[in-house]
Amino acid sequence: LSRAPRGAPSARRLIIASAAITGAAAVLPATAHAHGFVGRADLPIPDWLFVWAAAIVLVVSFVALGTLWRTPRYATPSFRRTSRVDRLVSARATEVTLGVVGTGLLALVLYAGFAGTEAPTDNLAPNLVFVLFWVGLVPVQLLLGDVFRALNPWRAVGRAAGWASRRAGIAVRHRPYPERLGYWPAALGIFAFAWLELVEPEGESPVKVATATVIYSLFTWAAMAVYGTERWSQRGEAFGVYFGLFARMSPWARHNGRLGLQPPLAGLASWPAGPGAVALLAVMIGTVSFDGLSAGKPFNQAISGVLDTLRGDAGLGAPQALQAVFAMTMVLVVAFAAGLYWVGVAGAGLDGEKSLGHLARTFAHSLVPIAFAYVAAHYVSLLVFQGQAAAYLISDPLGTGADLFGTAGASIDYAVMGAETLWYLQVGFVVLGHVAAVVLAHDKALVAFRTPRAAVRSQYPMLVVMIGFTTLALWLLAQAREG
Amino acid sequence: MSMVPVAHATHWVTSVLYAAPVVVVVVGLWWSSRNAADADDQGGQA
Repeated sequence: LSRAPRGAPSARRLIIASAAITGAAAVLPATAHAHGFVGRADLPIPDWLFVWAAAIVLVVSFVALGTLWRTPRYATPSFRRTSRVDRLVSARATEVTLGVVGTGLLALVLYAGFAGTEAPTDNLAPNLVFVLFWVGLVPVQLLLGDVFRALNPWRAVGRAAGWASRRAGIAVRHRPYPERLGYWPAALGIFAFAWLELVEPEGESPVKVATATVIYSLFTWAAMAVYGTERWSQRGEAFGVYFGLFARMSPWARHNGRLGLQPPLAGLASWPAGPGAVALLAVMIGTVSFDGLSAGKPFNQAISGVLDTLRGDAGLGAPQALQAVFAMTMVLVVAFAAGLYWVGVAGAGLDGEKSLGHLARTFAHSLVPIAFAYVAAHYVSLLVFQGQAAAYLISDPLGTGADLFGTAGASIDYAVMGAETLWYLQVGFVVLGHVAAVVLAHDKALVAFRTPRAAVRSQYPMLVVMIGFTTLALWLLAQAREG
Repeated sequence: MSMVPVAHATHWVTSVLYAAPVVVVVVGLWWSSRNAADADDQGGQA
């Protein structure tokens, strides 16, 4: 008997998926546990058991979706307009006020960065950028929708410039945004930000933060002048795109310009994933993964030999050698995240009905909750602890001993969250994020494939990929925890 | 030298446990796909 055509691709999908994922997932932990890894005594079960539990949750979710979720629900989600909130949020005065606040905060970063102390922990600029902005805005976007769109200082200044030029009677003609550029500018922007934070020596230096802000601002306003403020904000402005993706997980959304409530995650299903979308999400996931990896003892043990070689044979200084290794590793981890996703896409597309590029863009939105899970799990401690520093830094933004609001004497309470609570919170973020990803991919597969059965089968490799991402996330967190 | 892998068994056995869910799910899905394909074959012959 010859095997039915439908069954063979399923087996091939699994083989392709397993070849890359099991290899990677097996190799990474093998290096991780080489020496010096001691399980935490205050956790009732070992770390690897959390990976098992997370995988079981994902498999159960997948089976339940295949059984109970037989028609696409996010293609035409319910929407309930909230008129009062809409009136308040959409009011001209609110938009202008939030734009002024955002622009003021941008100016504060520049002022503190250039005029304040060079000690990063005593200057408001690094905390404002790396903690309150980069991490703190993520849960705000998730809960309240795209607040950053209103606060976005680059968009606010661009709109103000457009308004002023119209008032002055100056006609400005913008070029059409090249579709082939897609989200590539945003991907490069987020990568550059991660480079400043994780690779650049003394990247948290207030002057470097302020200088990078100036360079990014000038580039952004130039691009807005060429392509238009709104178009560049939606596609090219890195932070607008980055925070806008998290806002699409929120129940708050705009339909035909009206604000209202819809099912959570539904906004992602309608995300127009163009060229560069997968690269952007791979950068979002990969850079956070690299941050976790570089904080772990195994990685630092593994690179010591490479650093010696670079210092000895290549003649690099210690900072340059470390920067070179970090840069190469960050690029590799981003490529690994993209590769993992493409393995799942290749498996889903083995039937040959749809091109891989089309499938990659079709399911790209399912990576957003994974990116959220990585950011939330990895940086929750940064937000909880370093976020408290804002209380005294706001009173002494330059680190000169001022006490503008009487809070300069405040300090960070490290007892506010214990290590166990933090770990369970991190595991919760990882599991919930990946379950959301499975849900989104399943719902989209019901639209993309002809029958529910074909949709479920197409998602076998994606399920393996999701479990691979879960394993990687929890392993990285465990390594960073052990330090 | 041949003792090293045995001596460090607790390290790499724990490492394998991290990757095990991926392997188990891959094998399970492969088995499920094969059974479904066999069932399709038999249905087609009947």
